[in-house]
Amino acid sequence: MGDPVTQTIHRDPALFYWILFPISIVMILTGILRHYATILLQTTPKKLSLPALREQRQLLHGINLRTNYSAISASSFTARKNYMVAAYKNGDFLKDPENRGKPAGNPMTDPAAMEGMMGMMKGNMAMMIPQTLIMSWINAFFAGFVIMKLPFPLTLRFKSMLQSGIATHDLDVRWVSSLSWYFLNLFGLQSVFIFILGDDNAANQMAQQMQQMNPGGAGAMFQPGQDPDKVFRNEAENLEVVEHEYVLQGVEERVLALP
Amino acid sequence: MPTERELAISPIVQESVQHNTRVVSNIRSLTASLFGVASGILGLESYAGFAFYLIGTFFVSVLIWAFLAKGKQGEYFQGPLSELWAGDVLGGGMSFVLTWTLFYGLVRA
Repeated sequence: MGDPVTQTIHRDPALFYWILFPISIVMILTGILRHYATILLQTTPKKLSLPALREQRQLLHGINLRTNYSAISASSFTARKNYMVAAYKNGDFLKDPENRGKPAGNPMTDPAAMEGMMGMMKGNMAMMIPQTLIMSWINAFFAGFVIMKLPFPLTLRFKSMLQSGIATHDLDVRWVSSLSWYFLNLFGLQSVFIFILGDDNAANQMAQQMQQMNPGGAGAMFQPGQDPDKVFRNEAENLEVVEHEYVLQGVEERVLALP
Repeated sequence: MPTERELAISPIVQESVQHNTRVVSNIRSLTASLFGVASGILGLESYAGFAFYLIGTFFVSVLIWAFLAKGKQGEYFQGPLSELWAGDVLGGGMSFVLTWTLFYGLVRA
């Protein structure tokens, strides 16, 4: 009893060709397949009517004014600000002015919001189904034996997860079954996907969790359930609060100070 | 954080920031896979392997700093310590472990 005995198991090299590589290749291919399937399944953005579109764009207009005010002179900014604030308060841009003051529509009844939620669910499904399928395939075909030795040691808790088919006490945790190769691939292939599919590909697991699909495209600002009138009033208040500073003020000194 | 006035005069363009981050990320994942191959072939075990990865990544960061950022890291990154030196080390670590395990098993037979 001194040093722990290094456990070696002699393995047929053909194991690698028949197990490791096929699992990796299958995972890469399903990742690519999932990426293209997500692109094909995306619903085309719905065409909005003119009043609805005007409502969203005018809100963007106000936000842009608030963010980039330093690029225009003070008088120009004040003129625009007065127009926008008056228009917001009057509700000139509202899609249907008769609905002012009423609570916003239920997301279940609003068809546009439904499509947004369906899109998100489709994205999640496209993510989970291939993973479940591959896991069950691996468990069916590749269970019951250890495939390789991990170069680094792990604690005993991982033994049940990584050595799923083998019921021994003494086998080192470093000997793992093919399911753990699947997990390793799952995490390690994400950077490979970024390489071959470009950025924001659908096979990227991390990006999936931060994604949101919106039927109106990138310009849609109204979340389902928000009252546009209130949003406009908030924007009007934000605009009034802005302290304007012109970026070209003092530009003479800056230009003359350049080497 | 620069003042609002300084931001108006020399704005921080989101696209450029993303491009810089993406370049660093690509370099890191590629070199991480290669370090994994080297580590597997050399037959490095647990701590030695991870130390090899960290030293290698540090060396690659020095190269990025010297050649790509030309020494002026403040001009290219908003928070150079967390973006240039420590950026995407964990994601690269995953690729490293993948190729390390693969080649360790292949070569050791």
